[in-house]
Order: sequence, then C-alpha cells, then structure tokens
Amino acid sequence: MDEMTLKKLWQSSTEQLELSLAIGKKNAAEITKIKVQTILFSMKPIKIFSILAGILWVGFVDVLMINLFQVANPFFLISAGIQVILTKLAIGIYLYQLILIHQVDMSGPILEIQEKLARLKSSTLWVARFLFLQLPVWTTFYWNESMLSSSNFLLYIIQGIVTLSFTVIAVWLFLNINYENRDKKWFRLIFNGTEWQPVIKSMELLHQIDHYKMNTRD
Amino acid sequence: MNEKEQNQLFQQLMEQHKGILFKIARTYCQDEEDRQDIIQEMMIQIWQSLHKYNDKFKISTWLYRISLNVAISFYRKDAVRIGNRTALNEHFSQIQESETTEKEQQMKLLELFINKLNDLDKALILLYLEDKSHAEISEILGISASNASTKVGRIKDKLKQYFTT
Repeated sequence: MDEMTLKKLWQSSTEQLELSLAIGKKNAAEITKIKVQTILFSMKPIKIFSILAGILWVGFVDVLMINLFQVANPFFLISAGIQVILTKLAIGIYLYQLILIHQVDMSGPILEIQEKLARLKSSTLWVARFLFLQLPVWTTFYWNESMLSSSNFLLYIIQGIVTLSFTVIAVWLFLNINYENRDKKWFRLIFNGTEWQPVIKSMELLHQIDHYKMNTRD
Repeated sequence: MNEKEQNQLFQQLMEQHKGILFKIARTYCQDEEDRQDIIQEMMIQIWQSLHKYNDKFKISTWLYRISLNVAISFYRKDAVRIGNRTALNEHFSQIQESETTEKEQQMKLLELFINKLNDLDKALILLYLEDKSHAEISEILGISASNASTKVGRIKDKLKQYFTT
C-alpha cells in the first residue's frame, strides 16, 4: 500500500470515528468548573505525607541521639546515625520529586517532558535502595559492651550470621535494584505491587528515550 | 485573559480540535473506558495549561504536545486516578460493528502495527499519518527536523515492510 492510500485510510477512519465522538459544550464547561487533581498532582499527597512522617522520625531520632549522646552505647549511636542519614537521603529524593512535579509543563516537547516524568517516577527506586541499605543497622543498634564481653560464642555466631547476611543482602540489593534487572524473578517479587507499575514503566520509557537520543546522534 | 474569556476559548478549542484528542486516545488505548479517562485527562491538562499558551507555536502543535504527553504518561487501569470525573459516557457512543470490508481489514492491520510500537514511535506514526511536516513533528517531539525526517523514514520503511509481507 502506498503512502497516500495509507494516510487516506487513516484519515477516513478517524473522520468516521470522530463523528461518533461528541465532546459537547457541556463536557468542556464541566471541565472548567470542577476542581480536579490530575494524574501528576495526585502523586503529591503521598509524597508530602512521606516527607512529614520522615521528618518527624528523623527529628525524633536526632533528639534522642543528642540527649543520650553521653550515656548511650556507641553501637546505638552509630546505628541510629546511619539510619537517620539514609532516611534523610530518602526525604531528599521525595523533595526532589516534589520540585520536579512543579517544574513539569505538559505543553513542553514530548521527549523532554517524558524524560522529566520518567526520571521523577523512577527516582522512587532510590528510596527503596536506601531503605534496604538500612537493614544491617537494625541488627546492631541493641549491641552493648556487656553483650560483647559475655564470651557467649553461640550468641556471637548467631549475631554475626544475622548481621553479616543482612549486610550482604542490603549491599547486593542496593547495587542490583536497577533497570537492567527488571525482568529477574527476585526483582519482580519485590516490586510486584500495582504501586510499582508506573515506576517500572517509567524505567522502560527512559530506556526508549535513551535509545531515541542515541539514534538521534546517528 | 479573564476567566470568562478563558472558558470561552477552552470550549472553542475543544469544539474545533476534539479530533486531535480522540486520535491520540485511540492510538494509545484500546479499552473504551480508558479512552474516556484519557480524553478527560487531556481536557483537564489543556484547561490548566491554557494561561501558559505561547503563541509562537501553532495551537495544534501545543494541543498535540499536551495530549501526547498525557497519553504517554497515562497508566491505564492500574493507575490511581483521583478527582471528580464528568461522565463522558453519555456523549461517547460506541461505534457499531459493520461488515468487514477490505478497507476495514487494512485499517485493522494498521492498528495492529501501531499497537506493537513503543510509546514514542506511536507518537511519531500518528503525526506522520496526520500528514504533519517534519518541522512540526520536530517541534512536537523535541528533536531536530533532520532527525524527525530520519525517524519518519525508518517508520515508513517498517510500515511498507509490514504491508508487503
């Protein structure tokens, strides 16, 4: 089929379908009246909630650390310190996402806007990476000197295995949670929920955009 | 522009250019309900962006950009969509299935071809079939005119191959 025939086919079919579509004045008028949250801005409340909850948690742990600095055992202080730093990084990502949401102008060029949106959504994976990286400190914050000087080898072994395995898992997940592994079974298992679908799709779109840009340079 | 003028302009735009919204919704969504949702989302975005309209672009270019951006970032039924929805259903009648002619079969083939494309290529083929110039395609997509020409050339080749096999 030649180019002209194809375009005519498309045009005639869309004209026919258009006749059936009536976006009446009533619909257009309704849009101007309703207070709506678009898909993009519907992302805001959960991010604001996460930021507020995160700030409260970080504030609580910071105050605890400052007040107990002289008396608390060093394992608690170091573990809590690491946990708080990682939580602060996660809060930083949510803040970055809120800024991006405000910067997105949907009337911009497709590649530029889609890249912004895809980066915005896929950056959520960084939050997951930081949360996994916290795993080991949840196995060390309760350590104390009397526990270590008890000479209980069974306790040492159990604690050592738990902490070491949590550390290995945390570092491995931190390094491996990325687009290239999206089809792996373990990845699908972790990011199985519907809330992760847009994130995974945005990663695919980023891949398409990169490919598009690469071809552009050809 | 006061609110009344903005309302009038919006209604006028929707009346004159509703075809753009529908064609894009049709390209990206197979499901009728999704199409209604996507068209409504496009209308909302157009309404919300109206005050930012820059007249250095043709109005159709501006509408294509918004509608395509909405369509590509729309996550169908698994997406959580909040907000009041107006019922497009009553105005959005289904097309009656008529007898399958050769023309319809070719159209189905074309739709099958489009469905297999990725989101960015769908935008490209839609603009090509809409007979947009390479300059306008480049403005909408945000790539250079020469690259738009290269990409259109590639998609035309794929299309040709598809219809000859």
